[in-house]
Amino acid sequence: MAEVKLRGVKKSFDEVEVIHGVDLEIKDREFVVFVGPSGCGKSTLLRMIAGLEDITAGEIYIGDTYVNDLHPADRGAAMVFQSYALYPHMSVRENIGFGLKLNKVPKAEIQRKVAEAAKILKIEELLDRRPAQLSGGQRQRVAIGRTIVREPSVFLFDEPLSNLDAALRVQMRMELEKLHANLKTTMIYVTHDQVEAMTMADRIFILNDGYVEQVGTPLELYRKPANIFVAGFIGSPKMNFLSVKVLQIEGQQITLQLPGEDQMQLQRENINFKVGDTLTLGIRPEHFELEQTQGYSLSATVDIIERLGNETYIYANDANDNLLTIVGDGELDVSNKEKLKIHFTTDHCHLFGRDDQSIQ
Amino acid sequence: MKTRSFDFRDSLLSLLAITIALFFIFPLYWGFSTSLRNPLDTFTVTGVGLPWLNFSPTLNNWISQLEIVEMRNAVINSVVVSFSTSLLTLCLGVPAAYALARFRFKKISNKDLTVWFLSQRILPPVATVIPFYLTLQFLNLLDTRTGLILINTTFTLPFAVVIMRQAFVDLPVELEEACLMDGANYFTTFSKIALPLCAPALSATALIIFAFTWNELLFSLVISSKNAITIPMFISGSFESRGVQFWFLSVRTMIAMSIPILIALLAQRYIVRGLTLGAVKG
Repeated sequence: MAEVKLRGVKKSFDEVEVIHGVDLEIKDREFVVFVGPSGCGKSTLLRMIAGLEDITAGEIYIGDTYVNDLHPADRGAAMVFQSYALYPHMSVRENIGFGLKLNKVPKAEIQRKVAEAAKILKIEELLDRRPAQLSGGQRQRVAIGRTIVREPSVFLFDEPLSNLDAALRVQMRMELEKLHANLKTTMIYVTHDQVEAMTMADRIFILNDGYVEQVGTPLELYRKPANIFVAGFIGSPKMNFLSVKVLQIEGQQITLQLPGEDQMQLQRENINFKVGDTLTLGIRPEHFELEQTQGYSLSATVDIIERLGNETYIYANDANDNLLTIVGDGELDVSNKEKLKIHFTTDHCHLFGRDDQSIQ
Repeated sequence: MKTRSFDFRDSLLSLLAITIALFFIFPLYWGFSTSLRNPLDTFTVTGVGLPWLNFSPTLNNWISQLEIVEMRNAVINSVVVSFSTSLLTLCLGVPAAYALARFRFKKISNKDLTVWFLSQRILPPVATVIPFYLTLQFLNLLDTRTGLILINTTFTLPFAVVIMRQAFVDLPVELEEACLMDGANYFTTFSKIALPLCAPALSATALIIFAFTWNELLFSLVISSKNAITIPMFISGSFESRGVQFWFLSVRTMIAMSIPILIALLAQRYIVRGLTLGAVKG
């Protein structure tokens, strides 16, 4: 059990800086998810905490210990790798007990701990098999078992579910959540999948290009994205972005030109723009309504309809030929090339300035 | 049901394989056959030289050869030199290969180091004969097994480094990282994870080094004169004023070949592929 602190952590590969001074604080027993697109530096950051990558600059603390120069094993962290990384020449039992054996734990103690971990993960009957004889999900469990027996103060997960099929991923996701509830240990989880991040995290750290873009609980990020990147990354389908022109500013009241003929009014406190500027208006697909009459509306022509059963995705072109996504209910009566009036209220509008930052 | 044409293709391939095998085995067979003949029968047999059918076999050549002290010494020398060379080469080469595969050297890049190792094999061995002779003379190691072991090691080392480096590079690095996270130091990671998983490459490399050293003739000819005569050198001396004594030559060749073949058969089960199967990915 420990908190994890990073102070101005930087990482360069040769001349290229990939992590640009990250400061973050993870509380004891927190389940934190690092999420971001491929190459954003999330795995590198995790590997730096693990001790598998050198730190170019900055400080890392696990608990109260300054761990920059500590060997990976002495940091009190255990890691589950994306590829599982099970030792192919050892049985499941040996795989799980290997770390204990290296630390010269007595044999009886190893046996007890391995049995205990196997019970938690329901892999008792697999203990004498080799990794090659296991399915993907079973290998994943063994990899987790290997970390549990070491009773680390921090668990590190590097995209552990990305090699599993969709159904198994959902199941393992829930099991990891249960595991976190049982073990009550700090967990840092890296993924590129925002659904995993939203469902599992106490707090999410969104990374992009080696910077932390925003930190918050899943709902905070969903409701109040700090910038266009976060707004587009969290939520599925992705948020719609419209270019809108500022027509008038009266105190905190802004009048915006929507695509086509329509105009709308919004209240904002931080007026850091002027009349004539082009801003970005963000509206989530699930916040568009087809039948509502209050609020504002846009005209659009249906291009593609995807019916998922429980809901319907409509892709429609607005007056400027921007593709908009609308999520409606499953039985929605809509046909291709149909002209739609799409309604929305100001409560669900996100406004972003020319610097891509959210305007509150 | 399998189609007839498929079966036909299979039998054609089998036939081809048998033909190729016969092509390689026949000289061996002929050597063995010659070793069982009386000297007079060497060139006079008819047919394919089948014992009892085409000539009456005898063990005289074998008995007289095995009685020669020089012969026995040559076998012992070859065994000692080849085993020691393999062992020394692997002891020096495998850690070097691992370091080249896993660590980043700063002053000289890993790639340059590897090429430098490889370049040692580009030089024709004959170019180094005189320097090596003088070095061994200086060290008082002429005509000794130690001298031969040292020279053979310098020649096989680059090979071992390059082959084993590739084997380590091909190993998923996560396995070693997991081992580090489990509490191992670099040496344990190397000995408990990397080395066992590279066992097939390791035994193949050892076998090739052994065969290379076993067959090495040039340096033994130059360096050995009496005490450190090896099998190839002994075989090359199988002629006298009356010409080549094929009956003795064939016995010596059979003995020379039997040991590497035996070792290859024993090592075969270690040279299995797919040992890393199931280590990573689902």
